Amino acid sequence: MTKLSDVHDYGSSKTKSRNGGLSGYLASKSPSVPNLTQTFTTRSMKETSPERAGYQQFGSPLVEEPTNLSVIDLYGDEDDEDADDDEDADDDEAEGSQSTSGVIADLPVSSTESPSLEAPNAFGAAKDLSQYDRYGFKKQTAHVSQEEYHMWWDQYSRYCIRRKRKWQDLLEKSGLAPSNDVPDRFPPRSEKLKRYVRKGIPAEWRGQAWWYFARGQEKLNKNAGVYDKLLEGLNNKKDKNNCKDLEVIERDLHRTFPENIHFQKDPKEGQEPLMIQSLRRVLLAFSVYNPKIGYCQSMNFLAGLLLLFLDEEKSFWMLVIITSRYLPGVHNVNLEGVNVDQGVLMLCVKEYLPDFWQRIIPKEQSRSNEFLYKLPPITLCTASWFMSCFVGVVPIETTLRIWDCLFYEESHVLFKISLSIIKICEQELAGSRLAHRGLRARTHGRDDDDIEVFQVIQTVPKKLLDPQDIFDRIIFKRRVPLNNLNQEEIDRCRKYVTSQRLKFKNCAEIMGDRTSAKASAKRDLEIGPDFVNNALSSEVYGFRRSLTGAHWNNSIKEKVRQIRRK
Amino acid sequence: MVQHLIKSKFKVQSQLTKKLPMSANRAGKSLTKYKIVFLGEQGVGKTSLITRFMYDTFDDHYQATIGIDFLSKTMYLDDKTIRLQLWDTAGQERFRSLIPSYIRDSHVAIVVYDVTNKKSFEYIDKWVEDVKSERGEENVVLCIVGNKNDLSDERQVSTEEGERKAQVLNAKIFIETSTKVGFNVKNLFRKIAKTLPEFQKSDSVPLDDNATKNKPDVIDITTNEEQEQSSCQC
Repeated sequence: MTKLSDVHDYGSSKTKSRNGGLSGYLASKSPSVPNLTQTFTTRSMKETSPERAGYQQFGSPLVEEPTNLSVIDLYGDEDDEDADDDEDADDDEAEGSQSTSGVIADLPVSSTESPSLEAPNAFGAAKDLSQYDRYGFKKQTAHVSQEEYHMWWDQYSRYCIRRKRKWQDLLEKSGLAPSNDVPDRFPPRSEKLKRYVRKGIPAEWRGQAWWYFARGQEKLNKNAGVYDKLLEGLNNKKDKNNCKDLEVIERDLHRTFPENIHFQKDPKEGQEPLMIQSLRRVLLAFSVYNPKIGYCQSMNFLAGLLLLFLDEEKSFWMLVIITSRYLPGVHNVNLEGVNVDQGVLMLCVKEYLPDFWQRIIPKEQSRSNEFLYKLPPITLCTASWFMSCFVGVVPIETTLRIWDCLFYEESHVLFKISLSIIKICEQELAGSRLAHRGLRARTHGRDDDDIEVFQVIQTVPKKLLDPQDIFDRIIFKRRVPLNNLNQEEIDRCRKYVTSQRLKFKNCAEIMGDRTSAKASAKRDLEIGPDFVNNALSSEVYGFRRSLTGAHWNNSIKEKVRQIRRK
Repeated sequence: MVQHLIKSKFKVQSQLTKKLPMSANRAGKSLTKYKIVFLGEQGVGKTSLITRFMYDTFDDHYQATIGIDFLSKTMYLDDKTIRLQLWDTAGQERFRSLIPSYIRDSHVAIVVYDVTNKKSFEYIDKWVEDVKSERGEENVVLCIVGNKNDLSDERQVSTEEGERKAQVLNAKIFIETSTKVGFNVKNLFRKIAKTLPEFQKSDSVPLDDNATKNKPDVIDITTNEEQEQSSCQC
C-alpha cells in the first residue's frame, strides 16, 4: 500500500504545486527531480525485508515517513564486512569474494520473489512496483529476465553500499562531508577520484556529481536566466509556431522510456506525466537555443535520463554540454559528427581489435582509408551508441556507470566502452564460430558473417546488466593496450577523420554527381582504392604508443611522474 | 509483451523440432535470404509493424528507434524455407543520409505512412526516391503501407488516395494495416512472400486464415506457423 502511494504522491503533490494544466504546459519549469529516494525505499523494503513486505501486504499503513530515511540502508541490509579505506585497484576483488560468503547466509530473495507477494493488491489498475528498479525502469527486458535481474541486484546492491561508504570516507577526508547527505562539491581531480568514479558514483549523488564534473554551474552562471527566457519565448504563440521541431518533438515524447514509471500516465489521474512536460520544455528550449541541432532523435533519451537525476534547468544545460563538448556535431542536421566519430571508432577497431576488423572489412578495402568516407554498415548500429550515449543500448546501471565516467573523463570514454563491447562481441563470435567450424566454412558466405556480426553487436550490449562486465573485465585491466587511448588521442583522431572525410567528399564531387543508381555505381568504379590511395597516401593515422609498447606499467608511470615533480 | 515473446519463441521451437528437424536444416545448404527495409516518417509505426509480425503483440508506445534495428525471421512453405531479414530504421529526416547504404542490397522496401497524418503520406515520395536511386526500379519490391487505419475518426488520407499514389510510384503492393488491432499485417507479409521466387508459383499461399483451416495439409504462412529464430543457427 505504502509503496504504491509513494509514487503517486510524488506525482500528485507536484501536480498541485504547479499551475496550469496542459494548456500552460510550457509555462514554467519544474523545479524538482523525481525523488529517487522514495523509489529506493519502496524497492529495498520489498527486496530486503520479507517480513515487512508481508506486513505491507496485509494493508498496514506501515512507514509513512520513509522519505527521510538515509539512503544507505535503502540499498539492502547493512553489512559491516569491510572497513579498509586504503583504496587499491584490487580491493574489490577481495571484497567480492568476501561478500559472496556473507551474502548467501542472509539471502531471502527467493521467498520475497514469490508471486503472491508481488501480485498487485487492492489497486487493481495501479502498477506493480516490484517490477520496476530504483530509477523506475522495468527490471525485466527482452534480454534480461526477472530472475537474472534479482540474482545480479542482490550482489550489486551490496557493492553499491560498500562504494558509497568509500565515497563518504573520501569526502570526509577531503573536508567535504555533506551536511544533508548529498554533496555539492567533490574532491579535486586525482587518480584516486578517477578510480572511484569508474567504480560508480552513488546513485543518489549522481545528479550533483555529473553537474560538478561537467562544470555545469560554470555554464549556468554564464547563462543565468537564459533558460527562463527561452521558456517565455516558447509561451509566446508566434515563437511557438516558428518552432519547426515542435511536431517532431511531440511525437517522441511518449516514445521516451515508455516503460519507465516516471514517464507513464498515472492511472488514477490520467494526466500527462510531469516528466513528459519537463521533457517537452527542455527539448523545445534546446531546439530554439541551438538551431544548428534543433531536435535530433536520441536527444529525447539524453534529456530523459538527465531529468531523472537533475532538475529541469540543469538538465537543459547538461544537454547543451553533452551535445557541444562531448559529442560535437553528432546531432547536427547533417549528422556529420556521427560519421566522424564512427570513422574514429573504425580506426580504433582497426588498431586495437584487428580480428574483428577483418570480419567487417573486406581485405582489399582494408588498406585504403576509404572506410572513413564509406563507413561500413555496422556503423549505423554503433552510431546509436554515441548519439544516445548508450542509453537504451546497455541496461540502465551500466549506462549510468558510463555516464559517470563520461562526465569525469570526457568523450574518449565512449570510444573505450564501444571497443570494450566490441571486444566482448568478438569473443561471442569466436565462440559461435568454433561451435560451427567446418560447416560454416563450407556453407557460409560473407553475407552470413555480416548478419551474424550485426546480430551479436545488437544483442550482446543489451545483456550487459552488470557494469562490472565491462569495467572489471576490460577497463580496469592494467595491461590492455586500450589504456593508451586517451582524450588527446581521440581529439587528434577526430581532427584527422574530419579532414579525411572532407577530402573524400571533394574527390567524390569531382568524380561526378550521384543522382542515379548508375552514376553512383560508375563513380564507385572510378574512385577505386588506387585512386584514393594515390590521393591520400601521405596521410596515414598513427596511434601513439607508449614507450614500452602495450605493457607500459602504471606504477612505472607513476614513478616517472613523481620524479618529474621533484 | 515479453512474456508473449518468450511464449512465442517456445512454441516456435517446438514446431521447429517437430516439422523440420534441426539436422535437416543445418545440413542443408544455407537459406536464401531476403532483406526487407522499413522506411517512413518518425512514429508511423515501423517498429510496431515488425513487432506485430514477429510476436503478434502491440504496445501503445515503442521506444523511438535510433539508427537501425535488425531482426531476422525464417518463413517456410511446402519444402521451401527462406530467411527474412527485417531492418527497422529511424524515421527522422536527418537520418535519411545514413540509410541509403542499407537500401543498397535490399529485396523489399516497405514504405510506411500514417493514415492520420497527411505529412507522413507526402513524405513517402522522398523515401521511394531514395529506394529507386539506390536500387533502381526493377530490383526491388516496393510496398506502400498505410498504417493506423483503425483510427477512422482521425483519418487524413483516404484509401483511394493511397492506392493512387501507390500506382503512380509503381509500387507492387499497397495495403492499409492496423498494428493496433492486428489488421492486415499477416496479409502484408503473405503478399510479400508471394512476390519472392520461392513462393511465386505456389498455390498454397492462403489468402486468409479460414482458407487454411479448411486445408490441414497446407503449411500456412501465418505468424503461428513460422519459425522464428533469434540467433543465427543455420
